[in-house]
Amino acid sequence: MKLPFFPPDLFADEHAELLDTVRRIGTDPAQRFILGERTAAFEAALREHTGAADVVACSSGTSGLILVLRAMDVGPGDEVVVPAFGCAPLAASVIAVGATPVFADVHPWTMTVEPYEVEQAVSGRTAALMPAHMFSVMADMPAMRELANRHDVRLVEDSAVAQGGVLDGIPAGRWGEAGVFSFVQVKTFGTVGEGGVVITDDPELGRLARMLRNHGQPPGRRFEHHLVGYNSRFDEITADVQLRRLPGLAARLARRADIADYYTARFQEVVERGVQPPPPGREGRCHYVYSLLAERRDDLRAHLAERGIGSHVYYPTPLPAQQAFAPYARAGRHWPHAELACARTLALPIHPHLTDAEVEAVADAVCSFPGGAR
Amino acid sequence: MEQAATVSGFLTPQGTRVPFFSQAAGFAALWPRVEPLLTEVLERGKYSHGPLVGAFEQALAQWTGARHVVGVNSGTDALVLLLRAAGLTPDAEVVVPAFSFVASASSVVLAGGRPVFADVDPLTYAMDPDATAAAVTRRTRALMPAHLFCQTADLGALSEVAERYALTLLEDSAEAIGMRWDGVHAGLVGAGGVLSFFPTKTLGALGDAGAILTDDDRIAETAAALRHHGRFGRTVDDFPAINTESAVPGLNSKMDDFQAAILLAKLGTLDADIARRAELALRYTERLAGCPGVRRLPTVVRRDVPSNPVFYVYLVEVDHRDALVRHLTAYGVETEVYYPTPLPLQPCFADLGHRRGEFPRAEHACAHAVALPLYPDLADDDLDRVCDLVRAFYGGGGA
Repeated sequence: MKLPFFPPDLFADEHAELLDTVRRIGTDPAQRFILGERTAAFEAALREHTGAADVVACSSGTSGLILVLRAMDVGPGDEVVVPAFGCAPLAASVIAVGATPVFADVHPWTMTVEPYEVEQAVSGRTAALMPAHMFSVMADMPAMRELANRHDVRLVEDSAVAQGGVLDGIPAGRWGEAGVFSFVQVKTFGTVGEGGVVITDDPELGRLARMLRNHGQPPGRRFEHHLVGYNSRFDEITADVQLRRLPGLAARLARRADIADYYTARFQEVVERGVQPPPPGREGRCHYVYSLLAERRDDLRAHLAERGIGSHVYYPTPLPAQQAFAPYARAGRHWPHAELACARTLALPIHPHLTDAEVEAVADAVCSFPGGAR
Repeated sequence: MEQAATVSGFLTPQGTRVPFFSQAAGFAALWPRVEPLLTEVLERGKYSHGPLVGAFEQALAQWTGARHVVGVNSGTDALVLLLRAAGLTPDAEVVVPAFSFVASASSVVLAGGRPVFADVDPLTYAMDPDATAAAVTRRTRALMPAHLFCQTADLGALSEVAERYALTLLEDSAEAIGMRWDGVHAGLVGAGGVLSFFPTKTLGALGDAGAILTDDDRIAETAAALRHHGRFGRTVDDFPAINTESAVPGLNSKMDDFQAAILLAKLGTLDADIARRAELALRYTERLAGCPGVRRLPTVVRRDVPSNPVFYVYLVEVDHRDALVRHLTAYGVETEVYYPTPLPLQPCFADLGHRRGEFPRAEHACAHAVALPLYPDLADDDLDRVCDLVRAFYGGGGA
């Protein structure tokens, strides 16, 4: 068996359609390739899909976070509380707008930011909280919303990984004043290139994000630049592909959830051998990445590799310990749970086109790991 | 004046649209070369920052002679990353042209610096060397002229200004593929430059894409890291690189492999495309020379060293510009006004406190300049029709 962690055959059944998309758009008499009618239709489809007041397509999830922070006028002198464990854009987007990231530790099992750590990190300069959903678990958004209200700060939801997740009846992306989705190919709604959206129920944030993504120009006012904006646009090829793939998303998410349920049920037997699966259940869950916490993570990784099964370590180093972000880390502060997560996390293949036999083989391989003390 | 055209008898029937830009026919013809490259993307399975991006970077390095090409998401991003990679410190000043696309100045702000505007040369529309020198202060760290429309800025004189004040020369060469100064490709005369592959560009994608060009190893390495969340080392065509730690705070500015595949195919016809553009520009000039109301046709300035013009845009200065645009639009001919407002007077730079009258040449260009359709697919007949309509508008009679 050879099962790579990053599947190279994501769109194996769609080659003809993908080629047709490029040829059709390239030869379309309209010759409109960026932010055209397909992008508008895609935004409308996602508005309907999520119930959000506005969806603004942009060049990536990272860029979406920057557009949201700028739309909220977060900038120099402001602080934004972000998780100490997660992807670089959590800190880099804050720095990109001139503000300072303040790191809060995460829960040792869910790896999402701890509300009491966020509360401790809030200061008089805090402008926003930016929790992130992590792997398959949504952050404690009711607590985040309560904290944001109590401290009168903005709430940005890094929902880049969580499209389709629902917590207390509210979809991921709509707990914050604004959230984002990312469509880079490995994501649950991954596509044939880079792309993302800002999702918001606040029409003013949507209006500002729309201007900021296209050089600060108001809609229909070419070469009139009201804000120092970005080039963070969506192209018609990607929009066409995403419109075609949106109806199948629910089934692909369900398949991911089924695989996760199966893994989690199987892995109860390895808990005593130092391999911890994520919490069971489907409430507040998004099955982007299925990540174990293993005492002997590197041994488990080697054990799987010997059996032809690829795995991946997101993220080996806490954000405040990375060279780029260490200058922003408060002296004397520690993030022990983030460090523990970095040492123990190991992600298994969970993409929806895995066969049942492949899923069973992955589970068998994990269950045959002898484990033991580190 | 608009009356004159509607009564003249030589007009082709309405409904024959001349778009400002189209590559539809060219793309259809190129499809046999595009398809196998797209198929390679599908078979390799990496859709951004993948093997085709690497292949395009190499091919473009060969075509331009750049030591390094760093593919990114857009020309604007390329400018931001170039400025950061060149070591722009917070609040450092960069002298930029008062007449250009907004990214010439917004990129400086996005990179943490302050743009300082210099007026432009009336013939090349590029930053004037004397005005540039006058804009230099103790806080200036870099000069960033833009090469617009069909020729480069006076890179000889601007290099001297940079040298005199010990400043870094960077080039907003977003429009300048194929333009050379004394044999050196635009963007490589100074420390680094950029290319934009916006669809209408001389080398255009079917979406946004851009690149940084530089001969400087350190700038290339830093820019390459900045586009991928500040991750150094190999990241192109390498999935696991997404867990490499960030050494510097970066952005996500990766190029799509579909766009790289399309650009790689189009690079094969770039020389022919540039030649066709030159042919069309010459035809415009022949047909519009002496037309009343047309104040200025594109003027390629002769330099002391060889310089290669490339007609990305055919820009004319005319009387009653906005009325001409409406007239042409009414007859189905699309134009673009590059650019209607000097950058210092854009609302987004209002805090810099500039007033009308400070940049007279930029203001003049903004009031009179208009770009006519120019692209390899443009048929000679359509070009002739555009010229006839322009002549008719000014009462100059048909060709």
